[in-house]
Amino acid sequence: MKTPPAVMGLYDVPMWDSIRARRMALQRCTGCGTMLYPPGPVCPSCLSDALAWTPISGNATILSWVIFHRQYLEAYPAPYNAIGVALEEGPIMISNLEGQTPEGNWIGQAVKLVYAEMADGVVLPRFTCAP
Amino acid sequence: MRRSAAVIGVGHTDWVGDWARVRAGERPADCYGYGARAFRNALADAGIGRDQVDGLIAGPTTAYERMGEVVGLNVRWGDQADAVLSVVQACMAIECGLAEVVALIYGNDQRSVGTQYGGPQAMGGDAFLSYIYHAPWGMTSQGALYAMTFQAYMHARGFTEADLGEVAVAQRGWSSLNPNAIQRKRITIADYMASHYVCEPLHLFDYCLINDGGVALIIAEAERAKRICDKPIYIEAVGRHDLNEGATSLAPRLTSFYLPAQQAVAKQVFDGAGMGPEDMDVFQVYDSFSVHVPLALEGYGYCRPGEAGRFLREAGIGPGGRLPTNTSGGHLSETYMQGWAHQVECVRQARGTAGERQVAGCRRVHYSSDVAGKAVSVIYGS
Repeated sequence: MKTPPAVMGLYDVPMWDSIRARRMALQRCTGCGTMLYPPGPVCPSCLSDALAWTPISGNATILSWVIFHRQYLEAYPAPYNAIGVALEEGPIMISNLEGQTPEGNWIGQAVKLVYAEMADGVVLPRFTCAP
Repeated sequence: MRRSAAVIGVGHTDWVGDWARVRAGERPADCYGYGARAFRNALADAGIGRDQVDGLIAGPTTAYERMGEVVGLNVRWGDQADAVLSVVQACMAIECGLAEVVALIYGNDQRSVGTQYGGPQAMGGDAFLSYIYHAPWGMTSQGALYAMTFQAYMHARGFTEADLGEVAVAQRGWSSLNPNAIQRKRITIADYMASHYVCEPLHLFDYCLINDGGVALIIAEAERAKRICDKPIYIEAVGRHDLNEGATSLAPRLTSFYLPAQQAVAKQVFDGAGMGPEDMDVFQVYDSFSVHVPLALEGYGYCRPGEAGRFLREAGIGPGGRLPTNTSGGHLSETYMQGWAHQVECVRQARGTAGERQVAGCRRVHYSSDVAGKAVSVIYGS
């Protein structure tokens, strides 16, 4: 059950290291404070390359969600969900919602970062509904 | 650039016949072969020989140099581009004097070779595709991206799944009148609602077909076009506005639904043509998923943001509707030629040669695509 591989460019490696350590960090621009996702070489707001890896709070809000009704990938038997969340720090990321799912509309639901260990040992940042 | 270039020839392959042949296990052609057949038909439609062509743009699935070699074109200028950008580039080349008669050739064997726009074929690698980045979470397809866009859009606008069903129903209404269309059986909103989800909230009928085929167009400098052809179809204006911010994280799709980019393009293309949405007789929208249509109706000013649901239900985009849209059946029902066949339909409607589905008195056709953050429009006029 191989987890679909992540894009692993030069700037992605430290992020995935931080995820494996269960302390997910993103680059914060030390000049203007912008948080980057996905990781990259310079701040897209001010072009500075003074970026510091900074742990994220893990607080986020669901922007949208889908349910896959067909299986495309070994590690993802249908049905399964994918969510788009806005992190408290600003960036939007795609992930999955674990555990109890909201009744009806999921948009606006507060969620909290959790670390899921996949069958092949890969650690993924996912979310659960915030209490 | 207004009316400085015109389409003088269109051609395509036998989509319906090749659909049956491929499903029977045959491989009628490869990408180049489909392109070559379409090119032959476009030359015949234009009534010119290859020696008059001095520019070539090959579609994204074929190498420019090899396409030139295959169809025996030693042109002075050429490139590779997607459907609408190849039209824009042909106009630019003509405007700059780099070419006078440009052949645009597309071929795709996506069905016979089993191309998947998601799943294991969309993982890893260095090529930038927004969805590849999200593969670890099982999000690997364009369909899923549009499903996620549509979920947020429904919530923001008060739009419903049944409203979206109006698109698939209307386009089947059109394709039922089109002998070139692969799916011609009319459907109802009840059929749509009863169809299964692929990636919820999108139903089967919201997805484009995957089929083999080719399309070619010949675009000439306007004066040359008039000498060659009785009824050139002019490119009245083009427009483009891109949204690269959040290209991976999908911000433009999930939070603004491309609206700012489409509004910027609308201003450019309508001002360039000296016209407005009310002057358009037919609207053609790149519809890999039906979701593109309500977004485009709002983005290009055919209705106000938040009114697309009512527009689809009450004004209508099908046969007899106020704004005939995707009159061939589009990607959902006619053929999935990644925007290329839409250009052919624009030309046929503006020429008045669209047969049973011809929109009476059609003179101007607006084409729009919003794919991967690039909002692009062309207005064709007779």
